[in-house]
Amino acid sequence: MKELLQYILDGLSIGSIYALIALGLVVIYRGTGHINFAQGEMALFSTLVTWWLHDKGVPLLLAIAISAALAFVGGALIDVGLMRPAGRRSAFAPVVVAIGLFQGLNSLSGLLFPKSGQGLPFPSLFPNKPKDFVSIFGAAWRIERIGVLAVVLVTTALLFVLFQKTKIGLAMRTVANDATSAKLVGVPTNRILMFSWALAAVIGAIGGALKAGIDTNVSIGSMFSVFLLSAAAATLGGLDSPGGAVIGGLSLGVIESLVGNYPHDWPASDWIGIKTKTVVAFLIILIVLLVRPSGLFGSSRVERV
Amino acid sequence: MSALLTVRGLSAGYGPIEVLHGVDLDVQEGQVAVILGANGAGKTTMLRAISGMIPRTGVVDFNGQSIIKTAPERIVSLGVAQVPQGRGTFTDLTVDDNMRAGAYVRHDHEVVSDLALWYETFPRLKDRRSQKAGTLSGGEQQMLAIARALMSRPKLLLCDEPSLGLAPLITKALFQTIQRLNEQHGLTVLLVEQNANLALDIAHHVCLLETGLIIAAGSPAAIASDDAVRRAYLGA
Repeated sequence: MKELLQYILDGLSIGSIYALIALGLVVIYRGTGHINFAQGEMALFSTLVTWWLHDKGVPLLLAIAISAALAFVGGALIDVGLMRPAGRRSAFAPVVVAIGLFQGLNSLSGLLFPKSGQGLPFPSLFPNKPKDFVSIFGAAWRIERIGVLAVVLVTTALLFVLFQKTKIGLAMRTVANDATSAKLVGVPTNRILMFSWALAAVIGAIGGALKAGIDTNVSIGSMFSVFLLSAAAATLGGLDSPGGAVIGGLSLGVIESLVGNYPHDWPASDWIGIKTKTVVAFLIILIVLLVRPSGLFGSSRVERV
Repeated sequence: MSALLTVRGLSAGYGPIEVLHGVDLDVQEGQVAVILGANGAGKTTMLRAISGMIPRTGVVDFNGQSIIKTAPERIVSLGVAQVPQGRGTFTDLTVDDNMRAGAYVRHDHEVVSDLALWYETFPRLKDRRSQKAGTLSGGEQQMLAIARALMSRPKLLLCDEPSLGLAPLITKALFQTIQRLNEQHGLTVLLVEQNANLALDIAHHVCLLETGLIIAAGSPAAIASDDAVRRAYLGA
């Protein structure tokens, strides 16, 4: 029982990072109808910028804040400079551009930060020494893990307030629902999309720093698996549902953790265990999507005429 | 009396296909103007050209100001609201959020009191304010589309075939609502319709649009007595 709690908390912690990156994907999907393949590498680039600032002596939190601000501008520029011109040519072009951006940002990271190939040491945001844990219900809950989970939950709560309670959030929801009608009520749809890209980039910068903090390391390949799992989490939750992204991400983390810690003396332990944790997670997603093609919380549009 | 909307030689279309071939139109302040036309005559194109949703050439003056080069979201804030064909409500958003989205271009503090005013005018919407718009009936969605447009405090309301897909009784109630908005709130309306009988009842001025050209214009009485119109639109 103690172990079970432990595994669940570990799963929630890593899952919260999937949830955060999945939120970034959902923000862009709702505005454009496309999956942003570059989400992970945008996060990687921001994380390397954070590393560089910190390496030059900027305190970690300030480095993350500066990097997030730069990501905001960078995300907006990606929309204005790349996605929008491509989208004018063809509806599918932005997908290809995003794949190109994925490659480009990865290569650029290697070029600007030559040592990132082997991995750069990255400080944790929270106390992470062996003694830094609290004991709850007998399970050892690492302060670092609790911290990551808390940051993600606060970020998510802020995003919900943004979506549900602010004018720009309302505008984002109208664009997601019906871009033509949004224009007709006077919503500057282009500016809203630009803001969505900027926001997704900021989410990436935060998620990347959390992930690098847990790994105490950032390398060129760090964000790729995170992106894949986050994309799976977003699909599981329903690509247009922010709440779904969070639940999808957390469940995926927990499934991975439980499968990864599957006891060796239980049946089928050759098949279920640390080596197959991601495979099993994807299998479960596949089954869910067979039953609910638009994901757990995705809208299969309600419409009456 | 002055023209709130002046259109001269307006041409517009989609890509290489021109649908409107230089139409002229005046909408007087405080009146209901109706454009009658069959399917494919260019009625929707005309409204979309006025609201800036598609590329257009010619003259479009609103309230004494040229809006031919103005972006659609800016045209809304100048006071032109469009109720699109098929209603265009935000189906995943609640009725309340639809209404608030209608007020997007406003920065004053009277949005809440306007919301109360239009809920009073459309009590059905008030009953359903926290429901998703997609769950409303066709007639209710049309009401919502109009109420949402009113939330921007327009001087001119463009209505694209509001009767489409609605039962006759509901259509009748809808036209009464539009007439009331015109008479009680002084709202200027430009309506495009196929349903000539109802539209002629509430119109002050009628234009006949055929294959992208205005072929006749005048008072409802004059248009209704035109033999060609009677044959084509009034079934007599």
